[in-house]
Amino acid sequence: MTTEIWWASGIFWRKTAIWVTAGSFVVLVFLTFDSMSQITAGTKRVPAYSAINHRIEYRFDEARHVQVPVIGAEEPLFGRKLTEQEAEALVDKGKLTVQAKNCMSCHTLLGNGAYYAPDLTKAWLDPFWGSREMREELMVEFIKDPSDKLHNGLGRRMPRLGITDEEARAVVAFLKWMSTIDTNGFPYNFKPLDQEN
Amino acid sequence: MTALGTIDGTNLNGGQKLAVKYFCVAAILFGAQIAFGLLAGLQYLIPDFLYEVLDFSINRMVHINAMVVWMLFGFIGSAYWLMEEESGIPVVGLKLGNLVFWIFTAAVAVVVAVYLLVQIGPGEHSTLWLITEGREYIEAPRWADIGIVVCLLVFFFNAAATFNKGKWTGIGGVLVLDLIALFGIYLAGMFYTTNISVDQYWWWWVIHLWVEATWEVLVGVLMAYGLMTVLGARRKIVETWLYIEVALMFGSGILGLGHHYFWIGTPEYWLSIGGFFSALEPVPLVAMVVHAVFDSGVHKMRSSNHPAMAWLIAHAFGNFFGAGVWGFMHTLPQINLYTHGTQWSASHGHLAFFGAYATINIAFFYIAMQKWRGNVWMSGDLVGGWKWKWSMVLLNLGMVGMTMGLLVAGYEQSQIERAIEGSTWAGYFAAQAHPWFQQGMFWRMIFGGMFAAGYVLLVLDLLTIGRHETRPAQNVSAGG
Amino acid sequence: MIEPVELADFFVTFFSAAAVILCGALYALLFAYSRIRNMPRLMPLAYAAYAALFASVIVLGDAANLFGSLFWAAVMMLMLAGYLAAPHAVWHLCVTTHAAAQRDMPAAPPDSSSPETFQRPCKEKTP
Repeated sequence: MTTEIWWASGIFWRKTAIWVTAGSFVVLVFLTFDSMSQITAGTKRVPAYSAINHRIEYRFDEARHVQVPVIGAEEPLFGRKLTEQEAEALVDKGKLTVQAKNCMSCHTLLGNGAYYAPDLTKAWLDPFWGSREMREELMVEFIKDPSDKLHNGLGRRMPRLGITDEEARAVVAFLKWMSTIDTNGFPYNFKPLDQEN
Repeated sequence: MTALGTIDGTNLNGGQKLAVKYFCVAAILFGAQIAFGLLAGLQYLIPDFLYEVLDFSINRMVHINAMVVWMLFGFIGSAYWLMEEESGIPVVGLKLGNLVFWIFTAAVAVVVAVYLLVQIGPGEHSTLWLITEGREYIEAPRWADIGIVVCLLVFFFNAAATFNKGKWTGIGGVLVLDLIALFGIYLAGMFYTTNISVDQYWWWWVIHLWVEATWEVLVGVLMAYGLMTVLGARRKIVETWLYIEVALMFGSGILGLGHHYFWIGTPEYWLSIGGFFSALEPVPLVAMVVHAVFDSGVHKMRSSNHPAMAWLIAHAFGNFFGAGVWGFMHTLPQINLYTHGTQWSASHGHLAFFGAYATINIAFFYIAMQKWRGNVWMSGDLVGGWKWKWSMVLLNLGMVGMTMGLLVAGYEQSQIERAIEGSTWAGYFAAQAHPWFQQGMFWRMIFGGMFAAGYVLLVLDLLTIGRHETRPAQNVSAGG
Repeated sequence: MIEPVELADFFVTFFSAAAVILCGALYALLFAYSRIRNMPRLMPLAYAAYAALFASVIVLGDAANLFGSLFWAAVMMLMLAGYLAAPHAVWHLCVTTHAAAQRDMPAAPPDSSSPETFQRPCKEKTP
């Protein structure tokens, strides 16, 4: 074995590979701890579940140059103010239903999922619902039986997924809560349902 | 000893006999992926097609799940394929490995049957345990998750014990370490949480770190072995380059995870981290171009298996265009704000998964068929050589066509739906109805048909290639 | 924080981003080919490809509003340096790893079999 130039030897690169991998992973773990502390429900970026007791708006933030969700005056979902525990239980049921009905295989949530149906990140704020007063009940009715509701000019329709009244209300709660998450301005340039300015 | 050119198990070692079983299931699931992809694609054009019978959500789920599983089966098979040659001894615990293959395959069949027949369940935890978890790519119910981890553990045991009892090569070492990461990371996707931001944070650990880190390294291992087998490249060089590749892949890939954390509620610093690694991720790809040119000049480029060699080259190009060009086009946060969650992602996904992973699995299918038929000739002037060439043309052209169709649709979507209409539902449907989108979907369907034809020909070729050959494989071991 | 791309700059952004990667590959390809085949006259073409890459990065930086912040400007500079240096570095690595392997083994036995379609002349390189 002749002398090898160190930076071209297998041993050097094996060590490098191990150190690079370990180093990157340690940095990732560190960042994960920090991110977790910032996205736990009840923080600035990801509000508590009881946010569904309030009006949600989406406003332009001058300092950050993006739109951010703003939690406004009290405006309980389905006219009933919930405690933190009740709100969490309701949102949890909604999230379970969203997974059990496989919503993500047509829709995107926070932009992830399939592209056959619209993004649900700001479903609660979408102008599709017409007015703030009608929105909650329209959403519940739509989710329970979408087959005969107005969709679009394409003929693309959401199927009936056997969603009960209880599940539908929980899904609406989940969607309302999801609209409070600070997504760094995604979706950009969104024009929400009529807001009080 | 049977005649050259006949499929005969005695031509294979124990690990390879198990490998071809995995390959057979992988090839069948590849077909399922295409079939359900065609159904889902058709529903874009004919929305009422199979409405409330086999909805888009089900077709799409089977489409992407079949892909994950067939590629995983292909990788596992490939690893068993090279295990005995690398370690120098028979696979330790092969009986267990065989048993697990049957369990794994049966479990996959049950999961797919439940997907198709039961489809969805009530909004309760029992649905997540028994029917579907409803999380893109890892929809498999929790019982299957646990099964997958157990299967991967047995696979890991086979590999680690075999190399440990025999000899550790560079390829073996990287393979075993990568397998630890492969099943370790899967655990990150096996819990339920109400918080969608936390959910998606860990979900990306599985999806990104599997696909862009551990799978890439697995492919590096297979490529290293493939180059030694097909081209007769020297082990010392190949292994040094495998380490270099691992350093580059993990170095850019692990924190490259950042580009999935732009818009899910995670802090703003991910925009910088994701953007930084997105800008630098293609540098290793460019570096590989230099190495490939160098190799082709230094080696005597004689391949003992032309179809496998051609698919390895397709892998290099596919990885470069699918991951490199298509990835970088829409990954900086300044533009990703508009492209995230549109057909842009579908375009990138199709080309990158095919280019980086389908190609290398197909190359291994050919390497396996050659040996299964007693190491038959697979170089120039192959009897019936038109089949592999035409299936390759149809598959690649079909994929490029689908990618282009989706690209046009995604481009239009990012402009009309996102930039102009502000991502409202009305904007979404305005973009879906636009002629560019509709035509993009139409052409995607046409090229999807071409791709399917390529698949049929590929299967036909794999079953027949070398059947009428009487020449033994070309010897390339003397290559420099 | 980022400044999103203007609608009018969409096409330029996609196109220049693709051009960065493609020119990077073309530069690497021509660079390596010129060296392996001892064709110095190809080298100016390689650097022309790099010049195109340079221009693409500038255009991309302008379209994606990267010049506005120190961080993003630094990322661009790093890209320019990285793409310029990577082929050189990898070339040296290729030469050295192959030379090391060459020393460990006796010269490959002369091969008498007929040339194959994949075969290319094996030139001695002078690094």
